[in-house]
Amino acid sequence: MRYIFLFALLVVFGCSNDSDPAADKANFTRIYDNNKFNAAYYPIDIKQTPDGGYLILGGRRLENSNFAGIYLLKVDAFGGFVSEVEVDDELVAPIGPLMLNNNNYYFFCMTNVGLQTQLVRVDGDGLITDQFAVGNSYPAAAAADGNNFLLQSYNHVDKRSVVSVVSPTGSVSSSKEFSIGAGDAVEEPIINHFLQTSKKLPFLVGKVGNTYYFNGFYNYTLSLAFTNLSADEPQGIVQGQQDDGGISQAVPLDGGKFALARFNFGDNYFLPSATVSTSGISSSSDLGGNPLPELTPNASVKILRTTINARNVVLYASDTRSKQIALFGYDEATGTFIGSKYLGFSNPFEVASIATTADGGLAVCGTTYVAGRFTRICLFKISQEELAEAFKGF
Amino acid sequence: MKVILSLTLFILISTTGFSQFKKKPNNTLPKPKPSQQNKFLEKQWWLGFKAGTNFAQAKPIQSFTVMVPTNYAAALNAKSYDSFLKTGSQATLEATFYFKGFSFSVQPTYRHTRFTYFNQFRWYNTENSAETLELRYDQEQKLDYADFPFFIKYDILHDKIRPYVQVGIVYSMLINANKAVKVSGTDYASGGTNQFANEAIIVGAKDLFENYWSLAAGVGVNYNLGNVRVVLDASYWKGMSNISNTKNRFGNDRLAGIGDAQDDIDLNNIVISAGVLFPMRFLSSNFKTLDR
Repeated sequence: MRYIFLFALLVVFGCSNDSDPAADKANFTRIYDNNKFNAAYYPIDIKQTPDGGYLILGGRRLENSNFAGIYLLKVDAFGGFVSEVEVDDELVAPIGPLMLNNNNYYFFCMTNVGLQTQLVRVDGDGLITDQFAVGNSYPAAAAADGNNFLLQSYNHVDKRSVVSVVSPTGSVSSSKEFSIGAGDAVEEPIINHFLQTSKKLPFLVGKVGNTYYFNGFYNYTLSLAFTNLSADEPQGIVQGQQDDGGISQAVPLDGGKFALARFNFGDNYFLPSATVSTSGISSSSDLGGNPLPELTPNASVKILRTTINARNVVLYASDTRSKQIALFGYDEATGTFIGSKYLGFSNPFEVASIATTADGGLAVCGTTYVAGRFTRICLFKISQEELAEAFKGF
Repeated sequence: MKVILSLTLFILISTTGFSQFKKKPNNTLPKPKPSQQNKFLEKQWWLGFKAGTNFAQAKPIQSFTVMVPTNYAAALNAKSYDSFLKTGSQATLEATFYFKGFSFSVQPTYRHTRFTYFNQFRWYNTENSAETLELRYDQEQKLDYADFPFFIKYDILHDKIRPYVQVGIVYSMLINANKAVKVSGTDYASGGTNQFANEAIIVGAKDLFENYWSLAAGVGVNYNLGNVRVVLDASYWKGMSNISNTKNRFGNDRLAGIGDAQDDIDLNNIVISAGVLFPMRFLSSNFKTLDR
C-alpha cells in the first residue's frame, strides 16, 4: 500500500507542467498589431540581435508619398514588443537586407524629394544612429560584401541599372552602370515596382568569387547579369522575358552552383542545385527546374542556406495560392527534396524574410492581413526540433 | 510554495489513510466487546456508479497571445474567461472501502468539461469615426479527461441518512480536446453598420493540453435504501498543475492564424454527482448491510 502511495506521489508531481521559457523562446507566432484603421506595415528583413531579440526592417504606408515609408521594430527573444520607430517620411523606399557590420545594422533607402540613396545605420535596439548620403537614386537591392556593401540601384535619368560597392560611411568605391534599353516602356515596371502599383520585381545583387552579379534590367529584359565592375558589358547574362520571366532568387552554393528560383509568365520553378553559366548569354527558361503550381503567380521567393539535422540544406520560402507561407527544403549536396512546412492559416500570410537563429531554429518574418484587411508584420519562430522533424528527408 | 503546500497536504492525507489500517493500543477505559454483528459492520466494501454535472473555471497562470499591440495597451485585447458557467458531465465508477466511519474511495471517472473565453479588437481612425472595425473572438474549449480520484471520506452521522465530508487527490489524463472559435464583429467602414458572425472554426486541440492533477474537497450524503446506498455528493477540484502543453501553445496553425495562443491554465471544477452503491459483504441473506 505504501508503495502505491509513493508511486501516486511520483505520478502526480511528475505531471507538474510549469511554464517553460525555453520552449516559449524556441517556438512562437506573433502578429504585431496597430489599431490605426489606415495603417499598413510590412516587413522587409529580420535579423536576430545579440540579446536574443529580433530587429525587423519594414515599410509602412505614407499618406503623403507614393513611396513606402520606413518602419523599424524591435522585439524580444519571446517575440514580445520592445519598441518601434516610424522613420520620418523624408526617407522612403527602404530595401533589405539588414546588413551587419561592426555590431551595427545598415540598410539603404532614399530621400523622398531628391530620390538620392541613403545608407542608414541602426543599433541593435532599432534606433537610427547615423545616415550617409550615397548619391545613386532608386536603391533596388543590396548585400553585404565583407566590410562593404553591394548596392543595385536604378539611375532613372540615364535609364541604367547600377551596381556599386559602398563603404559603411556611404562612399562608393566602385560602380558600373548598364543600360536597360531605350524607351519609357522598359522603365515602366521598374518605377511601378518602387511605387508599389504593380508586381514587385525580384531585384538582387551579390558576389560569387571575384564576380559580381545582379538581377535587374539589362538590355530590355530582367536578367541575371555577371560583371567584374570593370567592363562596360556584363560577362554573362541569363536573360528573362522582359518583366514576365526571369530569376526570382539566386544564392550561390559551393562548386560554382546556385540555388535558384525562376518565374515565367506566372509559373514558378525551383532549382536547388543549378549550374549557371557566368559567361555568355543564356535564357532562364532553359534552366528547367521543379514546377511549383501551388505558389502564387510570379511568387516572391527567399532562399536560405542552413544546417538541419547536421545536413546542409537549401531552404526555400514562398507564398502559396492558399495564402500560406510554404517552406521547402532540399539537400544542398544533391538537390534532393527533404521536406516542407506550411505556416499561417485563416488570415493571408506572405513571406518577407527567413533567418537562422542562435538556437538552431528559424525565424520566418512575413506580412499578414489581420481580419483579412489590415497589413501587419508577423513572425514565426520555429524550433530546431520542429525543423528537424519537418526536414528529416525521406 | 504551491507544490510544497500540496505535497504537505498530500502526505498528511496519506498518513491519515495509513493510520486507519493500524490497530492502536487501547490505553483508555475498556470498551464493551462488540457483538458479532457490530464487528462485521465496522468494515464494508461498496461498489457503484454515479454520474452528474461539472462546472469549470479556467484560471490563467500566464497569458500568451499571438497579437502583440504596438501602439495600444495589451489589456484591451486581454482574454476574459468565464467562471463556473459552462456545464460539463461525468460518469464515475466508485469502489469504496468503509472502516469505522472512514471510507477510502477510488473513483475512476470519464469527465467532459467546458470553459470559454473571449477577447476583442478594435481598429479605428480618429479622424473618421466611420472607419472602425470591431471584432470579438469567442472561444470554447471542450476537454475530455479520464480522472483517477482517491478520496477519504468521513461519515458525520451513522444513521440511515449519512452525511459525510471528503478530501482527495485527482490525477486527470487527457483523452481529447477541441476548440471552437467564433468570430463576430461590426464593420462601420463598409457603408453602414455591418454586423456579422462567421461560421465557427472547430479544431482538434489535443496537442495544446496535458495531463494534470488536482486536490479535492467536498461534502455528500448517503442514504441507505435497503441494501442499496444512494449517494449525492459535490466536490471542488482545485487544479494544481498547468493543463496546457507549454511546447505547443502556438502549435495549431488555424488558431495561431487568427491570433490565438494557449494560456498556461489551472483548471478548477465543481463536480456534482448522484448514484447508487452496492455492498459487497453481507452478514446473512436478510441482513441489511449498515442500515441498523
